[in-house]
Amino acid sequence: MTRPRLPRVGAREKVTGAAKYGADHAPDGVAYAMPVVATVGKGRITDLDVRAATAVPGVLLVLSHLDDLGITPAGYIMAGGYAFQSLQPMLDDRVAYRGQPVALVVADTLVAATEAAGLVRVTYDTEPFAVEVGAAGTETVLQEEALPLPFLADVVVGDAEAAYAASPVRVDQSYRSGPQHQVPMELIGGVVEWQGDTVVVHEGTQSVGALRGGLAGQLGIDRERVEVISPYVGGAFGQKNSLQPHLGPLAVAARRIGRPVKLVLPRAHTFHAASFRPVARHRIRLGADRAGRLLAAIHEVDQQASRQDLLPATYTEITSRLYAIPDFRGRQRHVRTDTQTPGYMRAPFEHSAAFALESAIDELCHVIGRDPVALRLDNDAATDPVTGKPFSSRHLGECLRLGAELFGWADRTPEPGSMRDEDGALIGWGVAVGAYPSLTVPTQARLRAYADGRLVAEVGGHEMGQGITTALTCALTEDLGIVPEAVTVVVGDTRAVPHHLTAGAWGTNSTLRAAHEALRELRAALGLAPEGPVDLAAAVTASGRDPVEVEVVTQGPGQPPEMIDRMRAGLVALAGPDYPGYVSFSFVAHFAEVRIEPVVHRVRVPRVVSVADCGRVASPVTAEAQVRGSVVWGIGAALREHSEVDPRYGGFLNTDLAEYVIPVNADIGRIDVAFVDRPDHVLNPMGAKSLGEVALVGMAAAVANAVHHATGRRVRHLPIMIEDVM
Amino acid sequence: MTSTRETAFTVNGRAVRLDLDPRESLLDVLRERLALTGTKKGCDHGQCGACTVHLDGRRIVSCLTPAVQVDGRRVTTIEGVAEPGGDLHPLQRAFVDHDALQCGYCTPGQVMSGLGCIAEGHAGDDDEIREYMSGNLCRCGAYPGIVAAVRQAATGERDG
Repeated sequence: MTRPRLPRVGAREKVTGAAKYGADHAPDGVAYAMPVVATVGKGRITDLDVRAATAVPGVLLVLSHLDDLGITPAGYIMAGGYAFQSLQPMLDDRVAYRGQPVALVVADTLVAATEAAGLVRVTYDTEPFAVEVGAAGTETVLQEEALPLPFLADVVVGDAEAAYAASPVRVDQSYRSGPQHQVPMELIGGVVEWQGDTVVVHEGTQSVGALRGGLAGQLGIDRERVEVISPYVGGAFGQKNSLQPHLGPLAVAARRIGRPVKLVLPRAHTFHAASFRPVARHRIRLGADRAGRLLAAIHEVDQQASRQDLLPATYTEITSRLYAIPDFRGRQRHVRTDTQTPGYMRAPFEHSAAFALESAIDELCHVIGRDPVALRLDNDAATDPVTGKPFSSRHLGECLRLGAELFGWADRTPEPGSMRDEDGALIGWGVAVGAYPSLTVPTQARLRAYADGRLVAEVGGHEMGQGITTALTCALTEDLGIVPEAVTVVVGDTRAVPHHLTAGAWGTNSTLRAAHEALRELRAALGLAPEGPVDLAAAVTASGRDPVEVEVVTQGPGQPPEMIDRMRAGLVALAGPDYPGYVSFSFVAHFAEVRIEPVVHRVRVPRVVSVADCGRVASPVTAEAQVRGSVVWGIGAALREHSEVDPRYGGFLNTDLAEYVIPVNADIGRIDVAFVDRPDHVLNPMGAKSLGEVALVGMAAAVANAVHHATGRRVRHLPIMIEDVM
Repeated sequence: MTSTRETAFTVNGRAVRLDLDPRESLLDVLRERLALTGTKKGCDHGQCGACTVHLDGRRIVSCLTPAVQVDGRRVTTIEGVAEPGGDLHPLQRAFVDHDALQCGYCTPGQVMSGLGCIAEGHAGDDDEIREYMSGNLCRCGAYPGIVAAVRQAATGERDG
C-alpha cells in the first residue's frame, strides 16, 4: 500500500522563518565568541600575546592553552569517545594542523570579539608536515593490523588473484576522489548558557547525546547537568555527528563570565573545525569472460587519515556485493597526514567506492562491447556473494529495468561521441548503481496520548532536513488512523528521551521500529486491538488516565544489550546489528544525461532518472526529496566539489562558498525519482529499509560514465574538470 | 572603539532607531539586536544568499550591507512576508506545496529572493528562474522544488 503524500512536517515554520536553529537562540545578556586559529601547518606555540586583544573595549575574556581550561579531551567517536577527533585543541602548545583553534575571544559584541580575535598575536616554532596523500612524511598503515576488529577486516572470498589471472578479459585501473567538505548551510556553533549547575546547549547536531555525554565528561559533571536542545538542524551530512572542539571551551567561557555565550564559526573556520571526506585512492581489478560474466574483483583502497586518528573504512562492504562476483579480495589502508581527523560525509565510503567500481564496470562494458544495463542485470546477485546468505530484499534489477524504461535507455547508441544535439553539443548517457547497508541503532521512544485526542511522540532521533519527523508522523497517523494535526513529534532534545546519533541512514528504520513497538504498547495500555483505526480521545478518556504514557527501547537484531547503555551515554553503538540468517542493503540505479557544450566544453546535466529500492517508502514527499537532493550531491561530486590542500602552508585553501563550489540552481536540470516501493518485512515490521545514503551512491559514476559516452574520455578522478573533456 | 551612529529605518513596517557601530552588518543587527532570526547567516560573504532581505523592495544580501547604510530606508525580512493574520504568502505556500526545502536553513533567503525574482520579471520560464535564483545556495538540493514554487507563485497557478 502506498502511503499518502503527507507534506513535510515543519515546512510552515521554515518558510516563515519561525523555525529556531541553534544560533537563533538569544538569551538576555548573551556575549559573543570568536576563535583564533593556527596559521602554520604544524608546530608549537612559542608565544601567545593577548594584550592588544584584551585592550579592545568590550572584550571579556581570551582563553588559550595558557589558561587552565579545566577540561579533558572527549575522545574519538570511533574509539569509545564523543568527539570528531581525539585531539582537543587549546589544552597545550601543540599545533597539529593549520586551522586548529588556538584561542577563543569573548566580548560584549560580535564586532568587538571579531576585532580582538584579529589582534591576538601568536608565534610558532614550525615543523615539517604533509597534507597530501603520497607526500613525503606521510605514513601508511594496513587497516586489518591497525584496527583489528572483525567488521573492519578485509573482505576475502575465494582466490581473487588466481581467478583474475585466469580471466579472459581484465580491467586494471586506478581512481581517486576527495577531499571534500560537507558545507551544510547552517554554520557550526550555537549558544551555551549556565542555568545554576546545569549547562544548556542550543546547537544544531546529529547527536544531542554525544554533545551531552562529551561535554559532561570534559567538564567533569554529571550527564544530567547537561541539556542539549536541537529541534532544527540546518543540514549536517555527517559534519555535525559528534562533539566538536569549540563546545568545551565555550562552556568554560560562559561559566567564567557568568553569561550565556554565542559562537557562530566563520565559514572559513568550518573547513578545519570539523571533519571532511578524506582522499580515497582506489585500484580496481576486474576479471570477466568475453560475454561479460564477472569472475573476479580486487579492490584496494588507500584512505587519508590524520596523525591522531584512523577513520574505520568500509569501502569494500558494497563493492563485494553489488554483483555476483565469485572471487573477491579487498584491502584497505590508511595514510596519515597532518590534518584534522577526516570523517563522515554522506555515503562516506560508498560514494567513492561506487565511483571506482562502477567506472571500472563501464570500462569493462566498453572493452567487450556490452550494454552497461544488460551487463549489470546479467551479473545481479541472488544471494550475498560474501556470506552466501539471502538478502532481506534485493530489487536492484528492478531499479535498473524501471530506470532504463523511464530514461529511454533503449534509444542510446553505444559508440562514444555518437549522440549529438542540434547545436553540436555532445550528448552522453551513463548508468551506475549503488548499495548501502541497512543499519539499526538502539532507539528510545515515549508516546503520550491525551484525552483530547493529541499524541505526543518523543523519539531518539534528529531532524536535519531528511524528514524524520515527517516519516514518524506518517507512521503514527497511519497506524492509529488519526490526523497529522493531532501528532507532535519531538526529536533532538535531551530533555525528552536519550538519543543515539542519527547518521548512516539508520534514523528512519530505527525510529520507525521504536515507534512501531511503542504503538503496540500504547494499544495494549488502552485495551485496543493490535491494529486498525482507533478513537484515541475516547480510548484515553475510558482509561481514566490522562495522558496515557508508554515507553520502549528497541534495537537491531543481534545487537548486544550493552549497546542500549552506550546509546544512553551518548556513545555510538558499534556492535551489531547481526541479522539472523540474512544480510540487508538498500539499492539504487542512476541514469544521467550529460551535454558537453560545443566550443567551451562546459559539462551540463540536463536530466537524471534515479530509482531506489528502500523497501516500503516511509514518507513519499520527503523520500523523493532525499533522492533529488542526492542527485544534486552526485552532480556536485562529479563536476564541482574539491577541497584544495596547500602543500606550502598546510590546511585547505578554498575555504568559502565561492571557492568550494557546490551546485547552484542553474546547474540542476530535470530529476525524475521512482521507487520500487516493495516492503521488506524480513528486516522489520514496517518494511522500510534506508534511503538517505544509498541515494547518492553511484550518482557520480553515472555522470562520469555519461561523460565517457559523450566524449570517449575516461576520467578517473573527481571532480571532472573542463580540461578533462577538452 | 569606533564611534556609533544613530540609524533610523523601518523593518517590516516598524520604525527602528539604533546606535550602531559602522562595522555591524544589517544581518547581525536584524538577528542580534532586533530578534529577527528568520534571516540566516550561511557565509557572511555574500556567497550563499541565506541572508537575503528586501531593501526598499529590492533583494539584497544583508551580510554585505553595513547597517548604518539603511538609514532612512525600508527593510523587509521573512517575518514580514506572511499576511498579518498568519496566512502564508502565495510563494510561501508554493514552497510548502512543492516541498521546496529540506533543512529549511536557506529557505527564508530563497523566499525573499524568489519574491525579488518574480518582481523583477525574471520568472518567465524555468531556465530563467534557475538563473536568477542561483545566488541562493541550497545544500540539501531542493532546487527543482524551488523552481516549481517560484513558477507557481509567478503564474498564480496552484498545481501542488
